[in-house]
Amino acid sequence: MSFPSIPNPVETTTPASSDERGATLINHWQSGVPVTVGPVLTPLLVLLMMLASLGLVLAGMRLVSPLGPFSAMNSVYAWGIWKTFNVMTLTALGSGPLALGMAAWVFNRQKLHVVMRTALVSGFLFYATGLIALGFDVGRPWNFYSALMPWRWNSESAMLEISICMPLYCALFLSFEILPLFLERLYYTGNEKARAFLRHISPRIRKAYPFVIIGAYVIPLMHQSSLGGLLLLAGDKIDPLWQSPAMPWLYLIAAALCGFAFTLFLLLIVCLRYSRKLDGDVLSELANLLSGMCFFFLLVRAVDLTLRGQLHAAFAFNKMSILFLLETSLILVPAVVFRFRRARRTPRVLLNMSALACLGGMLYRFIPTSIAYAPMRSTSYFPSVPELLMAGGYISLGIVAFVFAINYFAVLPGESSTWDHSFRPFGWHTATAAPTTSLSKPLERGA
Amino acid sequence: MNILTVPITRRQAFKAMLGIGGSVASAVLPMSAEASVEEHPEFPVASPDAVAMLYDSTICTGCKACMPACNEANNLPADTQLSGGIWDMPTGLNAQTKNIIELYQDPKSDEFAFVKKQCMHCLDPACVTGCPFGSLKKVDFGAVTWNSSLCIGCRYCEVACPFEVPQFEWKALNPKIVKCEFCYDQRLKEDLQPACTAACPTGAVIFGKRDVLLVQAKDRIAATPDKYYENRVYGEHEAGGTQVLYLSSVSFQKIGLPKLGNASLGHYATKVTSVIYKWLGGPILMAGVLGFAIRRNWRRHELERLDHEKKTGFPDQL
Ligand code: SF4
Ligand code: SF4
Ligand code: SF4
Repeated sequence: MSFPSIPNPVETTTPASSDERGATLINHWQSGVPVTVGPVLTPLLVLLMMLASLGLVLAGMRLVSPLGPFSAMNSVYAWGIWKTFNVMTLTALGSGPLALGMAAWVFNRQKLHVVMRTALVSGFLFYATGLIALGFDVGRPWNFYSALMPWRWNSESAMLEISICMPLYCALFLSFEILPLFLERLYYTGNEKARAFLRHISPRIRKAYPFVIIGAYVIPLMHQSSLGGLLLLAGDKIDPLWQSPAMPWLYLIAAALCGFAFTLFLLLIVCLRYSRKLDGDVLSELANLLSGMCFFFLLVRAVDLTLRGQLHAAFAFNKMSILFLLETSLILVPAVVFRFRRARRTPRVLLNMSALACLGGMLYRFIPTSIAYAPMRSTSYFPSVPELLMAGGYISLGIVAFVFAINYFAVLPGESSTWDHSFRPFGWHTATAAPTTSLSKPLERGA
Repeated sequence: MNILTVPITRRQAFKAMLGIGGSVASAVLPMSAEASVEEHPEFPVASPDAVAMLYDSTICTGCKACMPACNEANNLPADTQLSGGIWDMPTGLNAQTKNIIELYQDPKSDEFAFVKKQCMHCLDPACVTGCPFGSLKKVDFGAVTWNSSLCIGCRYCEVACPFEVPQFEWKALNPKIVKCEFCYDQRLKEDLQPACTAACPTGAVIFGKRDVLLVQAKDRIAATPDKYYENRVYGEHEAGGTQVLYLSSVSFQKIGLPKLGNASLGHYATKVTSVIYKWLGGPILMAGVLGFAIRRNWRRHELERLDHEKKTGFPDQL
């Protein structure tokens, strides 16, 4: 199939920005460009599609069946991995739009505008799949219409905040933010009517944009902290290393941390996979922000533990303390490494350290909901096979959708000349032999 | 005892006051309505109409008369899984059991005790604080009840309840949250005492006003000092106080009553958020600050965009 690619002419004409303050938009990655090389349907993708459909078929069966046969949850461990992993943990990775968006639009880190789309699409997919997981997890979804009746809201419930804000954020704000992707696609189909419509609509979108993104940041600020707020009510069931009044703040900071870390990780992975050139400036900016977030997280965590007098428990070297130390070191290592400019400029280090930071942030979000969640009655919970398959299915669905998105829409940032050709961690071969500019590359997909 | 001649509760008065105007107001300002009254004091006070159950483990003979009585009052089937279909034999509170007598036996000494478990009807219930659409409510007499038409089955109540009381029907297509509701609909409203206390032949579990029962329990402790564990009533202060009170000669923790602080969980969980979300102040303030910064940066961005477009002829992507 042929896809008229988005022209990207500035690439050859504009020199790399020398503006270190990042006050201009021109830098190595100039704009989003769809992937145009290589087949879309790789064996791995087919496998993921099969996993996704397996998960969705199971989810469909769950519609006409009670929860019991599908999960190992019980009334003591009432929340399984759909909630604790797909929602609580993975939406932290999906907080890229929040973290990068705030950095770009509120703190004026203009370099980040060019990678916003990657963050937005991945964030949207994490939220969307998380919400699907949630939809099949709740027992009485037909009563959810109460969300439209504010007089029924229990305003002090963190669950209310989440159950309303999360779908709202995904369906309204994130969708609005990724709307330009679809409009652009429509534009490049060349249909004159469509183009006329777009010329009419796009100024309106630009008018609304700065106002809508206010909501797009306030709302996730609210619900990402409420995810931590949820766990406050669980009280003593959660190990004191995690149970803390600071949990809402830490959950929010962990979300920002994971947002930066995952966007960085994802950019590296897909750029390597599709042999895109990397933009050192943008990546090191991300790494810099990530390092700051990590330090901020650790600072809040340390102050919180000290104030609550739990420092000794952190170094007791029992199971919980080892988990805590693991989680902390996973965040500390990237924080320290990314202080060095050399490290921020080395793709291999960027990839490894961002992966560590992702893991650390995910651990912080996951542990208090499950491993450190120890109710008095000692029943145990380990996800059952259908539960795992469904959770894996939702994740695969997200990955498949992401691969299609970057292949057919202008998501990934355009190539630049700073590509480190010697760095091929997984033995992927470059698709084109000559390291040329994107204009000379085959823009149409090979037959 | 006529338990119905109680003054209208604060909550009811509040509800009546709000009326339609209140619904509209709370639609616009959803966080304001409840937070404006101190809804979660750290140490809640029982409402004047609060009823209670006093269970004295030293009197209970373990006859379990209260269990079928509870099942009957609540139309619950007997849990016969363990007994091979013969009689009610639950292993704990479950989707068919709102009330259970459990036996604690020390494996070494011959120390043993019975304990009755059901919802504690906390003075400031964590389950009610967490329930998103108010399916769980603390109603008259302080009974904590569940409303099937408001529950979304999120199971937050199970995560929140410090006593692990609410039970979800994992095997039902239309799953309910099963928990003791103090026989509110069936009996309390009809001016009858709960089925379990009515059935108890020994007086191990009795029903009455909470303040009266608390005095009675303390009298028992005073009359026989050192008979009761720690010489105190479990439930007077636990998690802010509960409307089920326990006396036991064996450690409360051994018979399965958790060691809890005296502050209400609802207070712990909402003391900061209730300030931030009061009148939606925090989010609105945040929106203002963000809006200011975004507007400034947006203007700058627009100028650069137009400049860029003029130079290259290609539009900027959002
Ligand atoms: S014991 Fe549990 S279910 Fe009962 S009122 Fe208290 S928190 Fe709610
Ligand atoms: S499961 Fe039902 S009763 Fe329990 S917190 Fe959720 S909505 Fe409320
Ligand atoms: S009050 Fe009613 S529902 Fe609760 S344990 Fe007693 S009989 Fe059962």
